[in-house]
Amino acid sequence: MTTSLFFVQLINGLQYGLLLFLIASGLTLVFGVMGILNLAHGSMYMVGAYLAWYFVQQTGSFTLSAVISAIIALLIGIVVERTLIQRLYRRNHLDQVLLTIGMIFVFNALQSILWGNDPLGVQVPDAMSAAIPLTDVVEYPVYRLFVALLCVAIAAIMYYMINRTRLGMLIRAGESNREMVECLGIDISRLYTIVFAIGVMLAAVAGVIAAPMSSIVPGMGEHVLIACFVVVVIGGMGSIKGALIGALLVGLVDTFASVLLPQLSSMMIYILMAFILLIKPQGLFSS
Amino acid sequence: MNNNVILESQVILETEGLCKYWGGLKALDDISLKFHDRELHGIVGPNGAGKSTLLNLLCGHYKPTSGRIVHEGAPIDAIKPYAFARRGIGRSFQKTNIYPNATCLENCSVAVQRRMGGSFNFLRSRHRQEVLEEIATEALEKVGLLSRRNEVAAHISYGEQRQLEIAMVLATSPCVLLLDEPMAGMGHEESQLIIELLKQLKQEYCIVLVEHDMDAVFELSDKLTVMVDGQHLTTGTVDRVRDDPRVKEAYLGQGDEVY
Amino acid sequence: MLFNNRTERYFVWVFFPLALLMPLFLEQNTFYVSKLTTVMIFAIFVMSLDYLVGRCGLITLGHAMFYGLGGYIFVMIAPEYEAVNFWVYTFYICVIAAAVALVIGFLVLRTSGIYMIMITLAFAQMTYYFFSDSLDFGGNDGVFIYVKPDTSLFGLSLFDLENPTHFYYLCLLSLFNTLFFFRLVTRSRFGRVIDSIHENPGRTTALGYNIFVFRLMAYTMASALGAYAGYLFTLQYGFVNPSMLAWTTSGSALVMSILGGIGSIYGAILGVLVYEGLHFSLEHLTEHWLLFMGALIILMVILFKNGIAGYLEKLLERR
Repeated sequence: MTTSLFFVQLINGLQYGLLLFLIASGLTLVFGVMGILNLAHGSMYMVGAYLAWYFVQQTGSFTLSAVISAIIALLIGIVVERTLIQRLYRRNHLDQVLLTIGMIFVFNALQSILWGNDPLGVQVPDAMSAAIPLTDVVEYPVYRLFVALLCVAIAAIMYYMINRTRLGMLIRAGESNREMVECLGIDISRLYTIVFAIGVMLAAVAGVIAAPMSSIVPGMGEHVLIACFVVVVIGGMGSIKGALIGALLVGLVDTFASVLLPQLSSMMIYILMAFILLIKPQGLFSS
Repeated sequence: MNNNVILESQVILETEGLCKYWGGLKALDDISLKFHDRELHGIVGPNGAGKSTLLNLLCGHYKPTSGRIVHEGAPIDAIKPYAFARRGIGRSFQKTNIYPNATCLENCSVAVQRRMGGSFNFLRSRHRQEVLEEIATEALEKVGLLSRRNEVAAHISYGEQRQLEIAMVLATSPCVLLLDEPMAGMGHEESQLIIELLKQLKQEYCIVLVEHDMDAVFELSDKLTVMVDGQHLTTGTVDRVRDDPRVKEAYLGQGDEVY
Repeated sequence: MLFNNRTERYFVWVFFPLALLMPLFLEQNTFYVSKLTTVMIFAIFVMSLDYLVGRCGLITLGHAMFYGLGGYIFVMIAPEYEAVNFWVYTFYICVIAAAVALVIGFLVLRTSGIYMIMITLAFAQMTYYFFSDSLDFGGNDGVFIYVKPDTSLFGLSLFDLENPTHFYYLCLLSLFNTLFFFRLVTRSRFGRVIDSIHENPGRTTALGYNIFVFRLMAYTMASALGAYAGYLFTLQYGFVNPSMLAWTTSGSALVMSILGGIGSIYGAILGVLVYEGLHFSLEHLTEHWLLFMGALIILMVILFKNGIAGYLEKLLERR
């Protein structure tokens, strides 16, 4: 592997990892705060991608489409939490798994009713369609760099929110002690709604920005969900820091494996997971 | 009380410099104790003194940070939690810990079956061998629950559930009983029942008793250990400990926790 | 929850005689006979899952891994153009699947709760990608089986696997045996320990049981039976492909198990019958059957917690 190719793969891996982080952080946040394992989290990623495609068709602007999609996702999050997820807080894991499986079925059916089952694609926005030449033959698309930077920015905003704002303080308190938050006179159910909606929006935003880089197909949500599971299992469930490290690890391993060990590439992240489980059954950063 | 008997009886369980730290917090600091056969060893101390931590270490639930636990001459602090019970170290829990949906007999049968074997027999009915249920019934009889034999554990009274828990420990045929507040939350009459029971049991077993009910502890203990802030304060006969000025200070210093 | 034996007895006496006579009613209508055969096969699979989830408290979303492995192990070890003995290969497949389950279980059972759900799913996906990416096993198209095994036992061949009715009876027999087997296991001393672990693992450890070993045994046993179901499915349709390993297979099996009444074992049969019945009729009504199925599952979780077996029991108790 030449240095430049290595470099390209490194950025690819980081960029994929950061995108995974965006999705996995929502999953782990919802689990950490509310104790809910949302299997339909991947469906939100899919919904984001399809919404992005739809509104690009309608408005012609990717930016506008992204904003509308994010807002719709936020609304979906609020409605789903208020009508369904709220019933799960005192239920066991099994009920959570079933109900969210039911949600996956519904979202997949809606996707097929509204947008059909053919693969769709979104054009990379004109402003970012260029590529940066690295060497004479190797170049790197600007859009991918933008995605990586955007993810870093969102991660930084999340870090700021969780560590510096009142909402973040409540989230951290809710993670460690539910009763205490309730005793402080805070409406915990509103906090839950907000957290869930933010989680949904993060997944949908990831779907939106991933749309121009990959084709939009049925089942994309489940694919990404499983990758996120690997991420949070590696990083430790409920830990945002763990999700970041786990996502970057998975991103890099997956990318390099597809170049170096193409026969085993789609299995590599699971082998990584099994290996980490052997050493730390609760993940790298379990609380 | 005949002091000679105490001196002659054998040390069954022993801790040497036992420590348990939670991060920087010293829950238990350098505890060295000897527990004798056929003796009830009471452990008292204010809240947070480390009594429950000590029991959790003795039964293998926690691993010590440092120090040793010696059972019948063999160090056992490195063995797996379930192996403690197999060596005959049985415990009851502070919060009632039984199988609420099973009958009292079934609760004890689980305990008996562990040493009777056959747990990997997939095909033979669990009710086939009567010896097992006989031993389980004996354990129930010992604690006075024979009449509740076929009732579902969730449906008997709280006091009876505590008795059942002791019966389960007895059914494992232990040599050491670690009892964590067996009288917690009980009324006077129910407590009296347990006290009578423990008086009988200490003729046969080595008992380590953590209890908040001071009257009961004074009445029952052959030896008493006082712990404060995870540290050993004193150990001796009830009378000696009761008159120890340091004990009074420790309790009074804590303010409200006199009993 | 523990189901009373009366309901189960009624069910067994109604279901199995009916199932025995069913091919006569259908008068060689091969379509329905083979559809029912698939229901039986899936009921075996769901039953093994129900045992794990409902009886052992081990929630797995990766049980399809063994369902698929049952088929793939067969194509791996059986010669391509030669009829092998069904019973011998049943034995091979169960043993190999059990060995795999022992290794996977060793990793998976170190964790619990949510972690276990995710890890079992991840391992199942790993096998899914392994087979769907591999050229040796036909990738997404899977592998065809050209010759079905013969079922001679001591020179006596009871079933002709090419004949759908014969195959139906083989699966019915297998289903009955599986139910009977689980009945024995749940009533055994091993079952007593498993019940105890399910109800109160901490207490069971304190009584001196190594609960990891018991869970591993149960996991291995259920996985081997799951593989057996997958083997039957492979033989019925004459091919194996990665969709058998897909997470949706595990997911719908879990739904059927709950629908039937989790932990009731026999409820698995009810769950599969009702789910497949609904699936079949909805599929004929609308192409968007998935939407109704999803909505149904959500409603079921919210309203119908003890499944059909639980409902039947209430009915019987009232009378």
